Amino acid sequence: MDINYVLSVVNSALRSTTPILLAALASAICTRSGVFNVALEGQMLIGSFVGIAVNWVTHSPTLAVLAAIVAGGLVGALVGILQVRYNAADMVVGTSVNLLVGALTAILLFVVFGVKGGFKDPALVPLPKVKLPVISEIPYLSTLFNNLSPLDYLSYVIAIVMYIYLFKTVKGYHLLSVGVKREAAESMGISAVKTRIAAVIASGCLCGYGGVALSMGQVTLFAENMTAGRGFIGMAACNLGKNNPIAIIFASLFFGFSDAFAATTQNTIPSQLTQSVPYIATILALIVFSRKRKKKATKTEESKAEAVS
Amino acid sequence: MKHITKIYGNGVLANDDMNLELAESEILAVVGENGAGKSTLMKILYGLEHPTAGEIYIRGEKQVFKNPQDAMKSGIGMVQQNFMLLPPFTVAENIVYGNEPRKSRFLFDRKKAKAEVDELSERYGLGIDSNLVVEDCPVGLQQRCEILKVLYQNADIIIFDEPSAVLTPQEVDSLLDTLRNLAKAGKSIILITHKLNEVMAVSDRCIVMRGGKHIATVKTSETSTKELSAMMVGREIVDAKIPQATPGKTVLEVNDLVKTGEAGKPILKGCSLHVNEGEIVGIAGVSGNGQTELLHTIVGLMQADSGNIVLDGKEIGGLDVRSIRETGCAYVPEDRNTMGCALKATLSETMLMAHQYEEMFNHKGILKHKTAAERFTALLEQYDVKYSTLSQLSGELSGGNLQKLIVAREMSHHAKLLIVSEPTRGVDIGAMEFIHNQILKQRAEGGAILLVSSDLTELLKLSDRIYVMYDGFINGELKRAEAKPENVGILMMGGSADD
Repeated sequence: MDINYVLSVVNSALRSTTPILLAALASAICTRSGVFNVALEGQMLIGSFVGIAVNWVTHSPTLAVLAAIVAGGLVGALVGILQVRYNAADMVVGTSVNLLVGALTAILLFVVFGVKGGFKDPALVPLPKVKLPVISEIPYLSTLFNNLSPLDYLSYVIAIVMYIYLFKTVKGYHLLSVGVKREAAESMGISAVKTRIAAVIASGCLCGYGGVALSMGQVTLFAENMTAGRGFIGMAACNLGKNNPIAIIFASLFFGFSDAFAATTQNTIPSQLTQSVPYIATILALIVFSRKRKKKATKTEESKAEAVS
Repeated sequence: MKHITKIYGNGVLANDDMNLELAESEILAVVGENGAGKSTLMKILYGLEHPTAGEIYIRGEKQVFKNPQDAMKSGIGMVQQNFMLLPPFTVAENIVYGNEPRKSRFLFDRKKAKAEVDELSERYGLGIDSNLVVEDCPVGLQQRCEILKVLYQNADIIIFDEPSAVLTPQEVDSLLDTLRNLAKAGKSIILITHKLNEVMAVSDRCIVMRGGKHIATVKTSETSTKELSAMMVGREIVDAKIPQATPGKTVLEVNDLVKTGEAGKPILKGCSLHVNEGEIVGIAGVSGNGQTELLHTIVGLMQADSGNIVLDGKEIGGLDVRSIRETGCAYVPEDRNTMGCALKATLSETMLMAHQYEEMFNHKGILKHKTAAERFTALLEQYDVKYSTLSQLSGELSGGNLQKLIVAREMSHHAKLLIVSEPTRGVDIGAMEFIHNQILKQRAEGGAILLVSSDLTELLKLSDRIYVMYDGFINGELKRAEAKPENVGILMMGGSADD
């Protein structure tokens, strides 16, 4: 096989990873604070749409990205207030918000652009591509890092920042504590409701970012329901990465590769089969990990018993 | 130094014109039965509840506590019955929680946290490894962690709410030592309890409450357990005269039970025992020496590797729980909250549990709610359980009332064999006396009773025979007349009866 072909698949995988990584990080911060957020899909889709709309109006990719983040945050605020403040059922809120955003973007697509299905226009300004100084000169590496936008690079920075936030800062510790035991947090005057709503809003912003990375990443266009389950794949990646931002990077890369694999092989193998690879892999991985965790749990039980005796 | 007067009421009069004073370095015990209003009073002091009337003064200054944080700022800390710890984090992380040392503005300085916690634990002689993860710590250590948390917040007044309820006897001893050390170090301590031997052992003064009212304040040195318990209950507690047992034929026979746990660790090393009709047989032992496993094997929750169990002439080893129960076994488990009942089930559901197949409650698969409700109402009345309706959740009952309910459920069916484990853990004196009388009544009616308890006084009082378990085997058998705390104690520690 041609090495350049392999590298271009890897490159495509890197680009597919970004939206999934962001959704997974969004899922992680919610889970860590004790909120089960199913609305990631909707939070992403609004970002994809608003990004393209603002891009079309202002011709500024920067403004488009910022607007997408804000839009995702607003949907996140809605989810947070309903789920945390008013204790609405997570599945109901999540599903409704996902359906609502799906319908809303379809209508707005028609109202604003007068089209159905999708919108693509030469007037849309694509994101600048990052040209790495030395690497772009080296033959193979240049293929590997070809055509990546700042959003792609920044997503890894965000993962690392989130890791530091969660495990090295006081605020992060408080967020974790709310997720572990709400009563304990409240007994120390830490508001679980505020912390959780903030976490869900942050997840909205991350998803908005992920959404715009999708609509202005490899292509610059909006299509109805273009997120196509990436919010849910993100949840799976988060689960595989055990809610740890660094592990989530690898889990997301795994799904990004599955995506790229599905895209490159769909001409030779029926695409329904290749596209189910990530999900089959998820199920297998979850089984393996849960068995490992169970083993560890029995071990700690034993050591506890020994500590007592 | 401090003066509190308050009346509390929201339909229920929980505290009626209570006064409480606490001096520096003093250990003040607040005793009373469940529902006497001790907890309410302490919740007011800790800012969890607000007084309807009355004031709190600390060092002469009037204080209003809107929430526990206000109370903490004034130097009041509370070690609650259910711990407010974060299980997946280390001891050090838990102790500094809410007041974390930082490096720069945002970063959590875990090294400094550990150093500070180690220093604190050394200063008060609490001896705890601050690197341990809380969920791996036994309950006693978790409680020390809570105490350190309160100390870390610089509390001068520390409230302990029923601190010994969750501890094993050895852990209780070290807790009492800790309390003494804290008082010596200048801390003022309020101890809420209904265990009078602890009151006598550590406190300087004692306040007795009953029905929300202040009954008496006495110097511990000038009172006795007997006087205190009479004041708590409002009448004299008479030690029930226990008539001679008249054992009949054998109901339960356990032969050479062997069980190996995970990782090849032996749990039961060949236990044999028997229980006759009209006899209470006790099992003594430091907890964790196989008693729980022995009971679980008998009731069918666990399978033995070898040995046999015969109940009422029928081999029950290897049968499932339901078949064993139907053969004639009732079981009051040691932990009422996890095995005794489902906290989120209603009272009638709780009462029905394990009896739902009986014809009395079940007509071809349809539950007879009306018959059940009538029977349960009568039963709860008979067992003196305080509740509001049968449809309330069992988790809403106080510990003592819930225990009485479970005892009622298990005893009312007059099974041939009644197994009771820790029947009076965490219940007050009145309820304890009641449960003891019920067990004795069952014996008088010819029931065979197997009793496991970590409370030696209880065991010695009720048991006609005592088996002492040590390290998975039966280290001795004593008749009522022979059993004394001393020789049972020696057997419990693995010694021999001749020592």
